[in-house]
Amino acid sequence: MSPRAVCAGFRQQAIQFFTDPQWIIPSLITPFMFTMVMLFLYKDQMDGPVVLQAVLGGGVLGMWANTVFASSFSISYDRINGTLEPILISPSGAYSVLIGRSIWSTAIGLANALLVFAIAELMFGTGLSVADPALFFLTLTLTLFSLASMGMLIATTFILTRRGRILSSIMEYPIYVLSGAMVPITALPEGAGMISLALAPAWGVDAVKHAAIDGYSSMFGVGILEDSAMLAALSSILLAAAFLVMRRIERKILETGSATRY
Amino acid sequence: MASPEYVIAAEDLRRTFKSFVPGSPEKVAVDGISFKVGRGEIYGILGPNGAGKTTTIKILSTLLSPTSGKAYVLGADVDDEKAVRALRRRINMVSGGEKGLYYRLSGRQNLEFFSDLHGIPKREQKRRVSGLLETVGLSEAADVKVENYSRGMKQRIHIARALINDPEILFLDEPTIGLDPEMSREVRGLIRRLSDGGTTIILTTHYMFEAEELCDEMIIISRGRVVGRGTVSEIKEAISDVSCIRVVTEEDPSAAVEALAAEGLDASSTALLNGRFAVRFATRGDDGLGRYERMFSPFRVKSIGIEEPTLEEAYLSLVGGS
Repeated sequence: MSPRAVCAGFRQQAIQFFTDPQWIIPSLITPFMFTMVMLFLYKDQMDGPVVLQAVLGGGVLGMWANTVFASSFSISYDRINGTLEPILISPSGAYSVLIGRSIWSTAIGLANALLVFAIAELMFGTGLSVADPALFFLTLTLTLFSLASMGMLIATTFILTRRGRILSSIMEYPIYVLSGAMVPITALPEGAGMISLALAPAWGVDAVKHAAIDGYSSMFGVGILEDSAMLAALSSILLAAAFLVMRRIERKILETGSATRY
Repeated sequence: MASPEYVIAAEDLRRTFKSFVPGSPEKVAVDGISFKVGRGEIYGILGPNGAGKTTTIKILSTLLSPTSGKAYVLGADVDDEKAVRALRRRINMVSGGEKGLYYRLSGRQNLEFFSDLHGIPKREQKRRVSGLLETVGLSEAADVKVENYSRGMKQRIHIARALINDPEILFLDEPTIGLDPEMSREVRGLIRRLSDGGTTIILTTHYMFEAEELCDEMIIISRGRVVGRGTVSEIKEAISDVSCIRVVTEEDPSAAVEALAAEGLDASSTALLNGRFAVRFATRGDDGLGRYERMFSPFRVKSIGIEEPTLEEAYLSLVGGS
């Protein structure tokens, strides 16, 4: 991995973000829409935990929408724009650039989540209070890290196929549901709950709820430390998997010559 | 391993692609190409659309692995992952057309991005980026977004991007495609200056005058195979069985041109400024001039003679006969 290329990917994504209006939709408008829908759904039950579930749900949905959009779109953009080839034949390769872009998406995702909380308070007067703000911020950041890792893994596969943008749409909703952001995992069918156990963001959402709600009863029956440990471990596995998949995909691209097809 | 005096050695290179139509045979893009390129040369790869030029360049620039055969670039096997990683620091590529840049970024930001990917030291980066912008004549537009650049400006920033790592070998895939004559000439001048500076250039082009002006040596490929190779004069000599005949007449010789076309000869008549008409065509065989003098005599032949074939005529003869 090249730190210079990571920074370059971060900076390039940041410039694209501020100069290309289409980024505003998934990054800023979509999370607000999600939160509004959630708050309207729960508006008759505006007590602490329910509101928090709604706001957290909106925040995580926004973060994931942003991450998955950033992952798929940036690679599709490179493919269409003919910039994938110069990246692939550079000594740094695509992996470092993707990490940089994911870090940018994570930062924007975090800003999003915080904005969602602010707007919920301002527009709905949710009276939201967070039990442990420091832990809340930390677990939220870790959750973003897990989402970014998943985004990385998905982005690497998008290098291989020109159907990246379609896949990104397919990927959005399962994660919303299985992460427990939309509804508690305990409300899901048994099989789906098992899949959630393997998803880093699900442990992240559980950890965030631990930090935010006094006396929170874990979806997995564990404490915040166990949640965070699982979150970190699964995220690291995702990152390592992304790296390995990337190596395989780079080789596959050489064999198929598919980097310029779109 | 390739011998040290050659920076590129392709040996029986072959590349096939799976057909998109189920059950159809594989498409052979490159079919046993071999050639060697010396350091500092401008080496041309000429051929019609679909001949395998871009595929060859992609294999040599490490973007595509060969199906079989070997290619060594700067001594590195392009199919060896470890060797390729080191090689990529020493080569670069420009594809023709407008793609390959971030349009929302300025020219300078594009160059900085790619220089970061090549690990150019920060202190060196600023100097090199400014120098390259100067070299391609884009200093004043350096901070303008690429989406506002003209086609020629985009092509120049492309070349600057490919020079960011000071490559020993630069692959240029139709670098003047779509450019106006003035801009094409500027790009050709830049290619010549790079070569004079010691950079080896691999150039694919459709423009014969461009190849004639720039290339020290070349191969002509058709349907994935080499059908001609050598210097411009060697390629012209390779079609020694072809005679290029030029006839100047006082009257419009369209009827004779049509008769030639009926024989399968590619001839066209050009009206000269002095009111005369000139016809040029290439013919195989040993017909001599007498037959054509008689054919054009109704149009008052002013002069008739055999001329050296142009590279285009040699190219068409080789590609047509392949």
